[in-house]
Amino acid sequence: MKRSFLTLFALGFFAFLYVPLFVIIGYSFNANPVNMLIWDGFTLDWYRGLLGLGTPGLDAQNRGIYIESTPQLLAALKTSLIVACSTTVISTIFGTSLALALARFQFRAKPLYTGGLMLPIMMPDIVLGIGLLIFFSTIGLRLSILTIVLGQCTFLTSYVCITVQARLAGLDPALEEASADLGANAWTTFRKVTLPQLAPGLVGGALLAFIISMDDLVITYFISGTGSQTLPIYIFGMIRRGVKPEINAIATLIILASMLVAALGLWLRARQDRS
Amino acid sequence: MTHRDRLHLWGLLGPVTLFLGVFFLIPLLTIALYSILTPGLYGGVEWAFYHWNYGRIFGWADGIDEVFEPVYLQILARSLGLALTTVLLCLAICYPVAFWVAWLPQRWRMLFLFLIALPFFASLIVRLYAWLLILKPSGLLNTVLLATGLISEPLDLLYTPSAVVLGMVYIFLPFMFLPLFAAIDTLDAALIEASADLGAKPWQTFLKVIFPMTLPGVVAGSVIVFIPAVGNFIVPDILGGAKGLMTGNLIEQQFLSSRNWPFGSALAMVVMAVVLGALTIFATRAKKAGGAA
Repeated sequence: MKRSFLTLFALGFFAFLYVPLFVIIGYSFNANPVNMLIWDGFTLDWYRGLLGLGTPGLDAQNRGIYIESTPQLLAALKTSLIVACSTTVISTIFGTSLALALARFQFRAKPLYTGGLMLPIMMPDIVLGIGLLIFFSTIGLRLSILTIVLGQCTFLTSYVCITVQARLAGLDPALEEASADLGANAWTTFRKVTLPQLAPGLVGGALLAFIISMDDLVITYFISGTGSQTLPIYIFGMIRRGVKPEINAIATLIILASMLVAALGLWLRARQDRS
Repeated sequence: MTHRDRLHLWGLLGPVTLFLGVFFLIPLLTIALYSILTPGLYGGVEWAFYHWNYGRIFGWADGIDEVFEPVYLQILARSLGLALTTVLLCLAICYPVAFWVAWLPQRWRMLFLFLIALPFFASLIVRLYAWLLILKPSGLLNTVLLATGLISEPLDLLYTPSAVVLGMVYIFLPFMFLPLFAAIDTLDAALIEASADLGAKPWQTFLKVIFPMTLPGVVAGSVIVFIPAVGNFIVPDILGGAKGLMTGNLIEQQFLSSRNWPFGSALAMVVMAVVLGALTIFATRAKKAGGAA
């Protein structure tokens, strides 16, 4: 009796989590160009428009209804991808070297680093966002893709470092010592012994950094210029201006893409845990 | 430490230290600095000490201590209330579900944990946008309610405080769930059985045994939800009305429309102070709870 009540509650919980996502997906196939909340038949027009295969809602355009322009959207997607790829590479290098230093060396400033590591994660986003905005404008650096990359790397480094640390904790230092005893120099040991063992942690950290970078809204909001809007910022603007039907198609594609990447990451981790 | 070791250590630490020093620590310090500078007439800043940025937050009008009106404190209190409501609702929702998942057979558990973590990765802005579709006067919820005859006129759901709470709870649920689950999953079933065998009623077992043992998870989840909730401006911006201005929105306005950066910085400093205060309270509570258990 009690157990079945709990099950019902849990099912409600999962419905609450997933219904909103399915609502978007459902509406993205709605043909009605004027009021996207009134069902007007099934269409793939919005997707065609996004993918550049024909004009979205041709009828709607004939009736003089404004359609969000595809080139702007693709530019935002391109900005997001450039930013996410650069930040992933940089923060993975920084995060891994930090994690290695913390795991393999004893030094006096260590507590400072372990504590400071949590700071960018524990701090409200908005504070870091405005701090970066003030800093960039004070030193006269114009807001651009560069400022977004620099800004995002500050907190992504922490996420990568924590993920890599978890992997490092499970490694056997004896293997590295054996490698050194057998005459390998530090670089060879790192390349042939440490790095291969660390790889799952590295991939996990990099994937996490990529996902968070692609999705970051608050910090990027303050440090992206007019010419360098990322996808979330562009969609935020679209929502503020009043929503247009193709936003549902964009949102659906984003949901599917991000879930695919996340599923891949979680699957990799599950496999790593098992081995 | 040998000379060579030292070289390796600083080879690893040097670049990242330099980077975080310049692009993380200095920006934080500039906020502190700006919060005590004079706002310029046309949005700039004058390099002169000015304490009225903080004065304004606590109710005094800019530089003239005649009109006392704590409007910013009210906004701050409202943001705190929203963050606490979000924390409590997330806790109330996740606690039973965490038990449900923990009691599942091993194979199913992985699947449901995966299902809970997954929406967290679907873009935040997209997930909030979904609620816009659902709550609109002509949106899904009203359509369903009208069709079933439960209501005769569309309800005003969007742009209300409840819509903001709903949106906040929705985006922060996974943050609460995972630490909570970690604590509940490691519960020792023998202790619960022992409590029952010794004659404790179920509610006594819950209050005296189960809840104290899961407290670390409760505290961790609450902190992780509370911190981003206090300064959040995205949810009130999309789902909230004009009356639902939160501290986050206020800060955003100071930087992007009013261009009063010093005042915005002072507000951000206050938000930081609130977060630090909350962290300290939570940490000491957790320590006390840890000592008792």
